[in-house]
Amino acid sequence: MTLSDAPSIAVDALSVFFGATRLLGPVSFRVAAGETLVIMGETGAGKSLTAQAILGTLPKELRAEGKVTINGRQVDTLSPTDRSALWGRDIATLPQEPWLALDPLMQAGRQVAEAHRYVAGLPPEGARNACVRDFETLGLVGAERRLPGALSGGMAQRVAFAAATAGRAPILLADEPTKGLDAERHARVVGLLTQVPKDGGALLVITHEAAVARALGGNIIVLRDGRVIEQGQTDQILAKPQEPYTQDLLAADPQAWPRSGTAPDGAVVLTAEGLAVTRGDRVLIEGFDLSLRAGERVAVTGPSGVGKTTLLDTLAGLIAPARGNVQRAKSLGRHAVQKLYQDPPAAFPPHVPLEQSLRDVARLHGVTWDRVTEYLIALNLLPDLLERRPDAVSGGELQRISVARALTVGPVVLLADEPTSRLDPITQRQTLELLAGITEAKGISIVLVTHHAAIAENWAHQSIELKSAT
Amino acid sequence: MTAARPFLAALAQRGLQALIVAVIVGIVSFAMMQALPGDAAYRIAAGRYGYDMMDAAAAEAVRLELGLDRHWSVQLFAWLGALAQFDLGRSLVYGSPVVDEIAVQLGYSLLLAAGAVITSLLIAVPVGVAAGMKPGGVVDRVTLALSVFVRAIPAFALGVVLVLAFAVQLKLFPVAGFRGPEHLVLPSLTLGLGLAAVSNRVVRDAVVDAMAAEWQLFARTKGLSARFTVLRHVLRNASLPVVTYVGVQMAYLIEGVVIVETVFAWPGIGHALVHAIFARDIAMVQGTALTLGLIYVALNLAIDLACRGIDPRTRSA
Repeated sequence: MTLSDAPSIAVDALSVFFGATRLLGPVSFRVAAGETLVIMGETGAGKSLTAQAILGTLPKELRAEGKVTINGRQVDTLSPTDRSALWGRDIATLPQEPWLALDPLMQAGRQVAEAHRYVAGLPPEGARNACVRDFETLGLVGAERRLPGALSGGMAQRVAFAAATAGRAPILLADEPTKGLDAERHARVVGLLTQVPKDGGALLVITHEAAVARALGGNIIVLRDGRVIEQGQTDQILAKPQEPYTQDLLAADPQAWPRSGTAPDGAVVLTAEGLAVTRGDRVLIEGFDLSLRAGERVAVTGPSGVGKTTLLDTLAGLIAPARGNVQRAKSLGRHAVQKLYQDPPAAFPPHVPLEQSLRDVARLHGVTWDRVTEYLIALNLLPDLLERRPDAVSGGELQRISVARALTVGPVVLLADEPTSRLDPITQRQTLELLAGITEAKGISIVLVTHHAAIAENWAHQSIELKSAT
Repeated sequence: MTAARPFLAALAQRGLQALIVAVIVGIVSFAMMQALPGDAAYRIAAGRYGYDMMDAAAAEAVRLELGLDRHWSVQLFAWLGALAQFDLGRSLVYGSPVVDEIAVQLGYSLLLAAGAVITSLLIAVPVGVAAGMKPGGVVDRVTLALSVFVRAIPAFALGVVLVLAFAVQLKLFPVAGFRGPEHLVLPSLTLGLGLAAVSNRVVRDAVVDAMAAEWQLFARTKGLSARFTVLRHVLRNASLPVVTYVGVQMAYLIEGVVIVETVFAWPGIGHALVHAIFARDIAMVQGTALTLGLIYVALNLAIDLACRGIDPRTRSA
């Protein structure tokens, strides 16, 4: 075996423990130069633990076992300092949240240039030139002097990509690189990643999205609760999954969802005419029209930063429209329009048991507890869950509890702002299906803001795509 | 929108604050002087001629000369009216213009304040960084205990302890007064220790936050060494809350200057304020209190500007 055939990363029987509890493993795989490995699974499946165990960035209380070899060198026995010497030079890491991964006080260009300078060892002039070239290749010209806060999510991801790969490491490890990106940026990042093996690098991508795995190809490992469920060639496993869990995971991909039927022909409950949304002096959305019927599901899609959340707040009557008007049907009461939020933990008081939060809402609106329980059961929630605090239930459960809370008020219209974007695919599908079911049964209309084109397409009756007005 | 706009707005805001401070400080210090028991004319006469050399006639003469028999509101408005023309009046005891007195004292006080802040940062930054690099470690816990201990000691007691230890016993530094740089050490240390006792914890928290930030880890995984990451990213981000906190400490500093100057017989504005109160030198009290108030506003402006210097986000908004 010549050196070039040797795998860039070889992992043998890797396990991660918390005390005596095995959180991950045993996992074994090899990725050679020019190859791709996708690790797929839900949150908590151990995907990120795998990445951390390879890098040596596991939290202190966790312990890894097994052999990790990077570029022919066994690294799991190295000291933390020696392991960190591999970072950037032997193995590059693309961060999960690019916005948080960039120093908020340093210009984007300098964060890339410093990697060229201090990691690749270029002279100052050369580092600046290399940075300019990177920004040209990645379509970031003009963003060199911007601070991370002034970059969009997609731009931040590309800046992070340039900074991470400046050290020319032959291995790229990307942990959920498409998290929270809209369809267009999603495609761009996937495009960047597919280029890595073509250029002779080894690519290891962690994702929960079947679409990303499909686009990347190569080999795949499906993880669940830290165990390997299936392992093999990506196209084969995606085409013919053997395990029920893999099938569920694939079925949860919004592209695979069945299309919703036609909209019920209810009375119009909410209309918007020629609505404009502005932020400061900038016009974000212009000429937005909507005629929402009872029981109808409308999806609003568009790139991040286009003003989707502001639009929703305008429809809710929380913000006065910059232009145009929002009309509610005369029959609608004060509380008839309710909002669902993106981040369920932020929508509940953290130190109050959930039952008390719900009972307070019920009492305030004169709803019997039996009715609330009925909603909970319809949303597939066990009542004893309510004894816990918000941080002690899963994100999917908490989002369904917040649906129940909104229903308690007796709404006619629900405005949902990316309610499932932080949930796993299977949970996302389940949550949206339950939401559709219960609202259809009660004739409640929903406006759903989502960055996911497939969800808009398949789940809603009608979808409106927002384009940037400027 | 230009970057100069928020800058000018900040200046204008601080200017307005200065005006409000001037009026309030003048009224409050005047009211407090009026509320003190005893006859002001007697105390002023005693201040001028000495206790043994004055009598009721001298006090009466002082009363007439300074118009202390006028109604309090007349006296207050006379002071405010003069202030509007940037005239702080004359010292009731020495007869010299208050401005001249303050001009000399202020330099000494600013020297002491600068010495105190520099001392506090020289202590707080290394200690805080060392504690913040290993939260929960030995350094962290020991410095926490020390911080609580030092902060619990009043400034005057700390000053006396330092004098006993370093001046009386070890004879390293002079006890009090000001004749050379060596006189600056103990008063600066007294104030600086009190400031550092709290600010080292702020540095520590800022460093802990910065080290736990995702951008810190990313700077490492993109290949920067631990040392470079700290120098190029962590320190700058961590310094922001610290500089802001130094601004908050200005209140403690001004209060400390008054006490520490008295302990060390430092010829500054705080020392002068205490003496003016004893001598019922109302013009001096109002003048010095006003100056301290305005310095507070000016220092906060300086902190604002320092934060703008560190944080580029505030400049491009």
